Amino acid sequence: MDALLNYLFSSNGLFWVFAFMTLACGGLVVANPFSRNPVTSAMFLVLTIISMAGLFVLLHAFFLAAVQVMVYAGAVMVLFLFVIMLLDLQEEERRKVKKLGLLAGLLSIGAIAGIFVKSLMAAQPGRGLPAPVAEGGTIPLGKLLFTNYLLPFEIVSVLLLVAMVGVILLSKKDLK
Amino acid sequence: MSLEISVVALGLIVLLADLWLPAERKRMLGYSAAAALLLLFLNTFTSHCSCSLAEGPDNMTSAGMFIQDGLAVFFKRFFLLAAVLVLVMAVEFSDRIGAGVSEYYSLIVFALAGMLFAASANDFVMLFAAIELITITFYVLTSFQRGRVRSLEAGVKYLILGALSSAFMVYGIALIWGTTGKFNFQELAQVAGKFAANRVFLFGVVFFLVGLGFKIAAFPFQMWTPDVYEGAPTPTTAFLAVGSKATGFVLLLRFLFTAIPDVAMHWNKLLIIVSGITILYGNLCALPQRNLKRILGYSSIAHAGYVLLGVAALTTAGESAVLYYLAGYLFTVLAAFAVIALVMRHLNSEDLAGLAGLNQRSPLLAATLTLAMVSLAGIPPLAGFFGKFLLLKAVIEQGPANHGYYCLAFTALAGVIISLYYYFGVIRAIYWSKETPDLSPIEISKPMKMAVCFCMAGMFYLGLFPGALINYAAQVVKSLK
Repeated sequence: MDALLNYLFSSNGLFWVFAFMTLACGGLVVANPFSRNPVTSAMFLVLTIISMAGLFVLLHAFFLAAVQVMVYAGAVMVLFLFVIMLLDLQEEERRKVKKLGLLAGLLSIGAIAGIFVKSLMAAQPGRGLPAPVAEGGTIPLGKLLFTNYLLPFEIVSVLLLVAMVGVILLSKKDLK
Repeated sequence: MSLEISVVALGLIVLLADLWLPAERKRMLGYSAAAALLLLFLNTFTSHCSCSLAEGPDNMTSAGMFIQDGLAVFFKRFFLLAAVLVLVMAVEFSDRIGAGVSEYYSLIVFALAGMLFAASANDFVMLFAAIELITITFYVLTSFQRGRVRSLEAGVKYLILGALSSAFMVYGIALIWGTTGKFNFQELAQVAGKFAANRVFLFGVVFFLVGLGFKIAAFPFQMWTPDVYEGAPTPTTAFLAVGSKATGFVLLLRFLFTAIPDVAMHWNKLLIIVSGITILYGNLCALPQRNLKRILGYSSIAHAGYVLLGVAALTTAGESAVLYYLAGYLFTVLAAFAVIALVMRHLNSEDLAGLAGLNQRSPLLAATLTLAMVSLAGIPPLAGFFGKFLLLKAVIEQGPANHGYYCLAFTALAGVIISLYYYFGVIRAIYWSKETPDLSPIEISKPMKMAVCFCMAGMFYLGLFPGALINYAAQVVKSLK
């Protein structure tokens, strides 16, 4: 069992599986040729998030992987589904896509992707850097958050307060 | 960092005070918050304050993330002053907001806190946290008049495009970190030269600049500006036009000239092109507009282009011109929006026709708006003229090295001439309107009158006696290197 795990971690095979899953499911979230149902899209989003959690595990970021599954695939997705079901969205009608817009969009995405892939191949990122220290447990993460990154961490807490106030203001039925 | 902590604490106090204050006293809450910020602003000039310039560029805390140099202090004063004026405007506007007025004040204060952190950000993590604090607060501030469809529409548009730009920015940061392994700007500057040929690193830089381009509304990331400016409540628009844009510029200056100076040197062509197109786009699209806030929206795109002139020059003269121009822009734009907030309070849209007869309804406001338009157009002796003069001078000085700069200066001049048409259209609507106007005088509260007069004084002072600020700005930009 250990040998198998070691093999899986050391080879790139799992990375390709998870990366492919993330991209494929991500694509199916926005453009699913088989179903226009928003719930299906939401479910594919769950799959995307779980495969991303797999990528985090491969980077030894176990805590992030767990949080990804618990918060995004769990809590946030439940909220998404709540909203979708509350609004009672029917199968969305097919919107007419302008041919010219579609062509221009695809062309520009293709061009950016082409340049990007080419430059990735040419640059070989990460060369000349020390091998990353794979530390993703709760203890090193917590230490970093409360020492080096304390200030951004506190700013994020203000941000969450703002978001909370904002949500209440925008959604409460009648404010005094 | 005591300044930032005080501002966050002030936001919390305003938020909590709402619980105990009776409804009729809420007006005072806004004024008190403005007064507190004014005190903090004045406090930055006292020598014992942590903001004093004397402490030098080495004053860094929190693992080098937070830098308190001259540039940071300059922009902190800028943001504090803007927030004071915006809060006074918000009190005047409060009857149109209806519910949640105190929260409106406190969100303005929190957005200010984000801007203060951004002015001191010396690290990508810190920068991103600060930018998100600003942007998310603005999503709420934009859609605050939730009874108005336009306001909600503006909020949703800003949310979607803002999220997209944040995604670009964070992807850019990830690529930069992935290639260099550095978050800190000083550390990045040491290795950036080595990576100047690394395409993935350059991709990261471009993506990061896309995110900043959205903040400053530079072409081609300007689509959101007119709609959001028009739909948002007027004080929000004013803060967006001044605060959010200046945040983009302080980060742009810091990123280009502190973090990647070796790379930025080769990027003058890109900056020249973006700056030129932004100026032309903003000015040309403003021509057919009839809505005053939309006009100011397009004009703010054009002004982003003008400020980019100074960045594109890649010299210290250009950088200090940027600071001077933004200071003049603060007074001018806030004066214009203050008048809009007062005059168009009871109108559904901000159509130019609403200005008819303003010179009889309130000569003070008519004069203020006229001066603001004249200053935006760049006519002497006001702040806008001198700012444009400095920017053009910085660009033309670079001309012998690269002839593109001459073209850019010519484009900017063409933009100024085009802009005269719509700025004077506003002035014509005030004084020579044919429509039969309602001539009821406009009541102006005392703090508002003071704020408006202060803006006017600022425009005149910067236009007539520019020496003091020019020296200060020149001294400030030294800390960038």
